[in-house]
Amino acid sequence: MTQVTGYIGRSVKRKEDARLLRGEGRYLDDLNHLKPKQVAFWRSPYAHARIKAVRTAEARELPGVIAVFTGEDFAPVKPLVTEIQLEGYVAKPQDPVARDKASHAGEIVAVVVAEDRYIAEDALELIEVDFEPLPAVVDVDAALAEGSSLVHTEVPGNIYYRGRRVFGEVEAAFAKAELVFRETFRTSRIAGTPLEARGCLAEYDPYQDVLTVWSSTQIPSILHLKLAEIFGMHENGIRIIAPDMGGGFGIKAQIYPEEIIIPFLARALRLPVKWVQDRREDLLTGVHARDHRYELEAAVTREGVLTALRLRMLTDAGAFSSFPFGCTLEATGGARMILGPYKIRNYEYDTIAVATNKAPAGAYRGVAQPSCFFAIEGLMDIIAGKLGLDPAEIRRRNMLSSAELPYTNPIGIHFDSGSYGESLEKALQSARYAEVRGEQSRIPADAGRQIGIGLACYTEISGISSKGYQSRGVADVPGYDSVRMRMDPSGTVAIYTTLTSQGQGHWTTFAQIAATELGIEPDQVRVVDGDTGLAPLGTGTFASRASITGGGAVFRAAREIKRILLRVAGGMLDDLPPEELELGEGFVRARGRKLKVTLREAARKAYEIRSGGSETREIPGLEVIAYYDPPPSNWSNAVHLAVVELNLVTGFPRFLDYVVVSDCGNLINPMIVDGQIQGGAAQGIGEALLEALEYDPGGQLLTASWGDYLIPTALDVPEMKIEHITTPCPSTEGGVKGMGEGGAIGALPAVVNAVNDALRRSRCWTGVPITRAPVKPEDILRRVGAVGAEGGDGR
Amino acid sequence: MKSAPFEYLVPASLAEALETLAGHQDETKVLAGGQSLVPLLKLRLARPRYLLDINRVPELSYLELKDGRLHLGALTRHSALGREPSARGSCPLLAEAAARIGHTAIRNRGTVGGSLCHADPAAELPAAMIALGAELKIDGPGGTRLVPAAGFFQGFMTVDLQPDEILAGLSVPVAGPGTGWSYLEVSRRHGDFAIAGVAVWLSLDDKGLFRQVGIALAGVDDRPWKARACEDFLVGKEAKEEVIAAAREQLAGFDPTGDIHASREYRELMAGELFVQALRQAVERAANNL
Ligand SMILES: Cc1cc2nc3c(=O)[nH]c(=O)nc-3n(C[C@H](O)[C@H](O)[C@H](O)COP(=O)(O)OP(=O)(O)OC[C@H]3O[C@@H](n4cnc5c(N)ncnc54)[C@H](O)[C@@H]3O)c2cc1C
Repeated sequence: MTQVTGYIGRSVKRKEDARLLRGEGRYLDDLNHLKPKQVAFWRSPYAHARIKAVRTAEARELPGVIAVFTGEDFAPVKPLVTEIQLEGYVAKPQDPVARDKASHAGEIVAVVVAEDRYIAEDALELIEVDFEPLPAVVDVDAALAEGSSLVHTEVPGNIYYRGRRVFGEVEAAFAKAELVFRETFRTSRIAGTPLEARGCLAEYDPYQDVLTVWSSTQIPSILHLKLAEIFGMHENGIRIIAPDMGGGFGIKAQIYPEEIIIPFLARALRLPVKWVQDRREDLLTGVHARDHRYELEAAVTREGVLTALRLRMLTDAGAFSSFPFGCTLEATGGARMILGPYKIRNYEYDTIAVATNKAPAGAYRGVAQPSCFFAIEGLMDIIAGKLGLDPAEIRRRNMLSSAELPYTNPIGIHFDSGSYGESLEKALQSARYAEVRGEQSRIPADAGRQIGIGLACYTEISGISSKGYQSRGVADVPGYDSVRMRMDPSGTVAIYTTLTSQGQGHWTTFAQIAATELGIEPDQVRVVDGDTGLAPLGTGTFASRASITGGGAVFRAAREIKRILLRVAGGMLDDLPPEELELGEGFVRARGRKLKVTLREAARKAYEIRSGGSETREIPGLEVIAYYDPPPSNWSNAVHLAVVELNLVTGFPRFLDYVVVSDCGNLINPMIVDGQIQGGAAQGIGEALLEALEYDPGGQLLTASWGDYLIPTALDVPEMKIEHITTPCPSTEGGVKGMGEGGAIGALPAVVNAVNDALRRSRCWTGVPITRAPVKPEDILRRVGAVGAEGGDGR
Repeated sequence: MKSAPFEYLVPASLAEALETLAGHQDETKVLAGGQSLVPLLKLRLARPRYLLDINRVPELSYLELKDGRLHLGALTRHSALGREPSARGSCPLLAEAAARIGHTAIRNRGTVGGSLCHADPAAELPAAMIALGAELKIDGPGGTRLVPAAGFFQGFMTVDLQPDEILAGLSVPVAGPGTGWSYLEVSRRHGDFAIAGVAVWLSLDDKGLFRQVGIALAGVDDRPWKARACEDFLVGKEAKEEVIAAAREQLAGFDPTGDIHASREYRELMAGELFVQALRQAVERAANNL
């Protein structure tokens, strides 16, 4: 049951919707009040090539062109360096505009500023670049092969990062193992590809020496700090504003070359300058994700209990270690999260982030969790299949029970609360598991359709703190978040935060928290987000953190305002002490007495708008700043259960049912949580069945449009039954846990497991489970022998 | 993704359109619904000097039943094929095929003429037109010529149309007693171009024999592919399961290419499966129609 306290726990209608649904949102592309000049980028057609000469004279002559810049012009700009303080990591500085060589297709080689984008793109055609093509490395095996061409000479062996750790007695456990299972799982390179792609607008005011940058970014604070460093400016001379955003999904939680180039141009030219990313640029250069290989080896008892796990993990980092999370994000993420809700005590990993001549990889909803749970949950089913166990049963045998919490796993991850077993049982119940199993068994093995059930049980890291980032070596992510809160003399509240909202609904959820703490209505709370000129610095909205970190800061700020307000009101009510006062429904009342003042009277008093003063006042006004650095790490958990029907004639799967049981502690707004789960699961379903960025052997992206990069539409996503278990987090403000990524984590393993489960029922099954995503219809037919064994695509 | 400069011309009559076209020849592109051409312009893969917008040419917008055939102007929108009662009722195959084109917004703008002239080998309407035996009406400086759909498609996105000609419209037969039809396809998502598609338009006689059969496949060759051997095989035979199975054995000679969405082998397999399913459905409908 959802815990309701004031407005917390209620499905309050989203305050942002009236505006956004009417098309009244103001996205980056809409910001034209400065009449900015427009930018287009000349991008490398080669995946790997030495740049011999860049000729721009003709482009400069084109009427309407204001300036053309090349790599040399950016020499004064400090290159971007992603600092990761982990042993085995190699840092490679990245210039905003390539100078000596291009190391992935789409890397910027020249920049045109013109009166409009049409002219800018006309000018691109007049630029000539002399290249000397170099061998392109486009997959991890080739990159690691002896004598491979190097993506960067500074990155020996094309290894950006390698981490090896052993926890517990792995050797001994394998020596004693009753059974050993080995399996390799692969996920494709995918894109978050938000509906609104990225973009950037900058203006420099030389009189005040202030640089204002509007960017469609999830991390305005981090961009603020980095630009100050790169340009050698004072932080006070910079303001970053993230306007309305049409999605981010982690893709906008990186700093990109364009976000350095555009402000640089605005300063250099003393003109407002703007660039709006098109879809081709988004797919070509927005950070990619996944492209992982998990080689797993498990020591297992005859009862199906995993006693030890070995992981060799390869991630394709692309050409650069993206800022600020670095290429270690996925490599350490997958290796650290894979144990999930299971009690595996002996564990060893060897994880490598490999440099290739592809676009950099980075954060995308779920980060490595969809892929690591794809691997471990796939392995669970394979073991269960071999041992004749039901997939639910093998999970029960390995899962942490609530009685065993709190629990610290061999890596040192601390789970303070959760409901792993309860969530599983609830999901089974909700899906009528036993009944569907019965239905399934009544379909003849030689039928042209089969039903399958897929499970995914997972933990989700959320609200990572400063210590959490420190432990993963991420140097440039502060980990705390913050708000400035002001109650004005009329008693309404404004919350200023650098946390952005790209779909999360912070206008609503932060207002619910503040309204609850201050005894007012959510409509009386205004949230102003994503502006470093108005709010204290923080971290940003990504990695399932804002409800914990931003929400926590709102709780704290509201309590501080309440404290001041009660003292002021006490002065107006017979000098009653705060303990004898209560706040609610717009009044401050004396407990058990008739005495009261309106909130508005108390607020006005706090400001001392009328002269006269009051001794109870400690500081004038009702404006506070609050920071919140959450406890080291907070884990929510969930179970996805997918039921699919396979058409074994066409190979197409169809969803018959989809159940999610989620436990993210106390819910602030259940409707918003459900929306996050559905949206995430839609993306996970895309990852399971549709999405793949394909490169040719020369490093050319073959899927540079939404015609070829297939994302799910409403028709591809089933209706979902979403249920909640509420195990409040004992350590966060409000008992909340983050959950923004969860939907995307569970769908990939649940869907592929369901497909495999259905395949197993077919008499024609080849005995080989699908261990690679996405699963295309013909992959399914291949597993029942209807399409030849290994097709030309190497599957 | 902004187009290269071009000059935009808007003729108000077919004569004016043809005259303009004759004057500028190779440097001109006709703009109909823009659903294929505009993306090409934006990617600068098409860079005409002149863009001739035919949307205001009245002679190209018509939809009428005449002399036992359905006549469609080139500007007939995909969505009209399913929405207009006269079109849907008389030629349900077109409605069924058009429903599989892209999404609502695309169907509301895209035109029948544009789809045929663009001639994507995986497109629905070209295959349907071949199955129907549509007759295309082409206007040029020398007057009007009529071309059967089967002869119009000459290669990969290449059609029998001179740079100074415009496809003005076409006519197709209408359903009568014993007519059956089906359009089936497999695509990764609804609205995507077909991995394989099959259009069938046939009629049975009162003895249940195939009287006339038109079958064309989408997505399996460099152009919409007419299953001539199968058509010939079926005519005069009894419309039953064994005959359909035997016809499938005759299905050969097309040449699909594998790509990131489907291998050659899968396209071939789907073509065969859909062929059988579409024939079955068409026969069933024809039998109900007798
Ligand atoms: C997202 C998306 C999905 C799509 N999915 C599908 C799909 O599943 N199946 C499908 O078949 N199509 C699909 N299309 C394409 C759509 O059907 C187009 O409408 C069609 O291909 C072209 O028609 P048009 O009227 O838009 O032509 P335009 O784009 O205006 O023109 C196309 C070409 O035909 C020429 N042309 C047009 N009309 C004439 C004429 N009367 N005489 C001479 N030349 C002419 C033009 O010069 C141009 O070369 C899709 C399009 C989009 C954007």
